[in-house]
Amino acid sequence: MSYYECNIHAFPDGSDSASRLALVAKRLGYSGIIISNHTTFGKVFAADAVEHVKDIEVTWGTELVAKNPRDLRLRTNALRNQVEFLTVHGGLEKINRAACEDPQVDLLVHPQMDGRFLGVVAAKTARDNQVAIGLDLSPMFYLRGGFRIRWMKTVNRDLALIRKFDLNLMITTCAKSHFDLKSPKDITTMAKLLGLEEEEVKEALSFPKTILELNRKRWVCPGVELL
Amino acid sequence: MRTWLPVLRDRRRYMAFELDSENKIQSGDLAREIYTSQTSLLGDFGASKTKLQLISFDGRFGIIRCTHKHIEEAKVVLTTVRAVRGTRATMRVRGISGTIKAATEKYIPQSILHIDENERRIDLEQVSGFIVRIRGQEVDIYPDDRSITKESDTKYVGLTSFDLCGGDINADGTSNGL
Repeated sequence: MSYYECNIHAFPDGSDSASRLALVAKRLGYSGIIISNHTTFGKVFAADAVEHVKDIEVTWGTELVAKNPRDLRLRTNALRNQVEFLTVHGGLEKINRAACEDPQVDLLVHPQMDGRFLGVVAAKTARDNQVAIGLDLSPMFYLRGGFRIRWMKTVNRDLALIRKFDLNLMITTCAKSHFDLKSPKDITTMAKLLGLEEEEVKEALSFPKTILELNRKRWVCPGVELL
Repeated sequence: MRTWLPVLRDRRRYMAFELDSENKIQSGDLAREIYTSQTSLLGDFGASKTKLQLISFDGRFGIIRCTHKHIEEAKVVLTTVRAVRGTRATMRVRGISGTIKAATEKYIPQSILHIDENERRIDLEQVSGFIVRIRGQEVDIYPDDRSITKESDTKYVGLTSFDLCGGDINADGTSNGL
């Protein structure tokens, strides 16, 4: 099975260059990574050097940080044709909802930031628009004590929603340096502790590949492909 | 009279791990950090069942012992280590074995770490600083402008030799850019 890490921040968002992240990810057993920088899209340091790292597929995406739903809509329309993978930085309830309502969005990452959760309405719209939900496991190792307990509680609630509405799930660690990158095995054990099944985790780790393959085809309108 | 019957001894597993850190880390500090993250994640009750014990650590590779029924928990405890005494670090489990000997032979290779003592500089458009160390194609740089790594909470900027090809004025013209 080919595993993908779907949300990585390279320098200047994080502290590691894209090729270093690719090198470490390859060693950890990933077959592809998607580099999604926040605001520095197109300004990534030494982007060409990635080509020298063999046997790993590096895709350029972006993670949108929007202030309000209108801002989000405008920027998804502008960026959709420029990137292969479009992620939305979740957290605010309005943004979560707006991202789930937009079929152009591929992934809504960490909707459960700061103790907020996904919500039933957003989950339903995400199912209709086929927006995947990204489970960010990084609070597992950077939070301690009460904060981590609260985060685990919200994640459990969201996982129940994800199962109920059969949403697409992706698992990531939102790495900002090679220290944050975890191997697929470590991710599996961490996710199992949160109540996910091993099969679910494997599916979630290889799901970005399916989305990338779909995005690479040229679509005239939903359901019609240009051959 | 024997103090404990061999048949009642609990079965142990030895985990070989690799520690990736920014600076040198003492084994005592690492052990303390493992115990804190263990009690934080599993609590005192869970910790008493897992029985984690650091057996050896040479600065990069090490072996840790746990009971055979609680390997999963022990693995998660290791992955939750984020920093040791303020130094960013990450632990990666390389493999699990039933004896110390097998764990060492199977999963712990010879360490190849080259610390750069010449303090060579890298001056590129977006980043400039001193080379701290080189491991294969991986290069760590101590940046002049500390604020660029603030977001990711690390000390060094991690690059590869591929990034440095051609871009460095002081490069001595070797194929890997160093």
